[in-house]
Order: sequence, then C-alpha cells, then structure tokens
Amino acid sequence: MNAPNDPCRAQRQELEEAVSLAALFTAFLAVSLYGVVGGSGIVWARRIAVENRRWISDREFADIVSLCQFMPGPNIVGIAVCVGAKMRGTVGTIAAVSGFLVIPWAIGFSVGLLFLEYAHLLVVRNIQGGIAATAAGLLVATGIRLLMPHWRRPAALLFAGLAFGLITFAKLPLLAVLFVLVPLSIAIAGIEKARAR
Amino acid sequence: MTALSAPLALTVHLVLVSSISFGGFPTVLPDVRNFVVGTHGWMTDQDFANIFAMAQSIPGPNMILMMSFVGWKVWGFPGAVASAFATFGPPCTIYFASYRLWDRFRDAPWQQIVRLGLVPVVMGLVIASGTVMARAADTSWPAVALTIAAAAITLGTRLSPMWMLLVGGALGGLGLL
Repeated sequence: MNAPNDPCRAQRQELEEAVSLAALFTAFLAVSLYGVVGGSGIVWARRIAVENRRWISDREFADIVSLCQFMPGPNIVGIAVCVGAKMRGTVGTIAAVSGFLVIPWAIGFSVGLLFLEYAHLLVVRNIQGGIAATAAGLLVATGIRLLMPHWRRPAALLFAGLAFGLITFAKLPLLAVLFVLVPLSIAIAGIEKARAR
Repeated sequence: MTALSAPLALTVHLVLVSSISFGGFPTVLPDVRNFVVGTHGWMTDQDFANIFAMAQSIPGPNMILMMSFVGWKVWGFPGAVASAFATFGPPCTIYFASYRLWDRFRDAPWQQIVRLGLVPVVMGLVIASGTVMARAADTSWPAVALTIAAAAITLGTRLSPMWMLLVGGALGGLGLL
C-alpha cells in the first residue's frame, strides 16, 4: 500500500478534491435522464464518468461494475455510489445517488400514474421498439469496450465467452453463473500471474 | 390491523429483501409478490401484474418505481416514499462499504488477480444482457440491422448514444422497423 507522502497518491487526491458535489449531482442526474430516453444505465454512466468528465479510467469503471454485480440491489445505483465515494467520500455518494434518483423518481412516479392512458397507441409502441433495438446494440458495445483491456489474455476471452454462452444459450440463473465461473477465472488468473513471475 | 402496521410491515420486508437481492431486484420479485398478494392480500395478482408492466414501460429507476407503486397502494404517498427508501437504502450502504474496502487494497497483488479473473466474466454477462434485450427488441431484419449498427458506431466512434437513440426512435415511429 502507498505511504501517505507518495506523490502519486497526493496528486490523485488533489484531482479528486477538484470535483464539486454539484458536478456529481448533475452528472448522475444526466445518466439517469439519458437512461429515460433509452439505453442501459451502464452505457450512460461510462459515457459521462469515463469519456466526458474523465473522472475514472475504463479499467476503474470495469472494476466498479464488477464489484456492483456481486452486491445485492440495483447495480446501476451502485455505480453512482462508488463513483461518488471515489471522488468525494460519503458526501460524494449522497450527491451522486440523489442526482441519480430524486428527480427521475418524481418524474417516473407522475408519468406512471398517467401512462396507462397512452400505452395502447401504436406510434408510441413503435417508437419504443426502435429505441429498444438501438439500446440493445449500445449495451453489447459497452460490454465489448470494457473487455478490451483484457483482449490479449486467452483465459479472459474464454471466461467472457462462457459467461455469455451460459446466460444466453443455456439460460442458467445469473447467480449460478457468477459463483461457478468467477472462482475458476480468478484461480486461472492467479496461476498465470505466478507463472509470469 | 391498525393504520400503521401495514406500511411498517411492508417497509421492513422491503428492507430485508433489498439487502439480499443479489443480481438485482428482479430476483426477489416473486418473494415480494407472495408477501403483498398472498400473505397480506393488499392487492390482487392482477394489480401486481399491472404495476409491474407499468414500471417496466415507463422511464426511470424501474424497480424502485415498482416498489413505490406497491407502497402507494398500501399507504398512499408516504408509503411510496418509504418503499423507495427501503428498496435502495440498504444496497447503497452495502455498495459504499464494499467499495471502501476494495479501494483500500487497490494496490495489493491479490486484488490484481481478482480483477483479472472477475472483469471478463462480468463483461460476458453485460454482453449477454445486451443480446437478451436484442432478442426481445429485434422483431424484424431492419431492427437487427439497427442493433448491429448501434453497436458498431459505439465501438468505432465517440458519437453520443443520444443521436443513435433518436434515429432509432424515429425509424420505429415512421414504421420502418
């Protein structure tokens, strides 16, 4: 672990100080509202936190997504919690989660009470269909993007392929796939690491 | 049953199930249905199905909204707010604690090994959920082409997803899919 006077650590902390709570709130409000139009939360969270604001790297983002996958609850809220915690600690988490939830919840709740009136209109259904088809492509591409740093490891591609296949074709439950593949995958990564030494 | 005990029972139950909702809230949905429809009879199966369909088709944090509508049925607006907090509060606390723990050991060698093993599996799962969504959404060849084009443009350019979603929605609205 780093000593407290490690220059890298200090620099990183300085960078993290610079992010305001308002920026965290609006960034995750944007993630949530863009998600309203369409596209999975993970697509927008990566777009904003990694590409636009450059708060975290693709590698750190992949870490956070993986960590959240293992925890109970809505995984996308977990991304807000972790990015908020990384940038500003506890208050950062509160800012990011409030941004993500409060306004979108109020909108969604009001719309929900009105929505059934219009859900039967054909045009509304067709537009939703087009958006859903696009959103599926965006999600696939985001997964591939986050897998890129592991591209040169055959074991990584094998396990990504197995996870994909067991869910898509064998239709196994998510938890079963996670608890079988992850220990194996980590064990093989450990062996690779030991050999490289 | 007194006026307060129903919302309290619902809130406590939601706190419990949201703490164990590994893999997201859909995994505990059957349990919630049994609790509100079977055990307590706060609503009918039809009510529950309608709320589910509505929460799926409206924008916003779906599962939190869904539980808010359940809370609304039981205790009006305060019930909706209590259910929302019960659904996202405990997981947020767990996320926060585990991220802190993960961050503390970020330079440890074991964590690099865990990362090398964990990330590919999770990304395989992300790609799989994209494919599952595509199977539901791609009911025609033009829709399949749209999905593939959106994936290719995302990988090859930095174009904002918003443009692609607008084009996708417009193509659908014009009846071209």
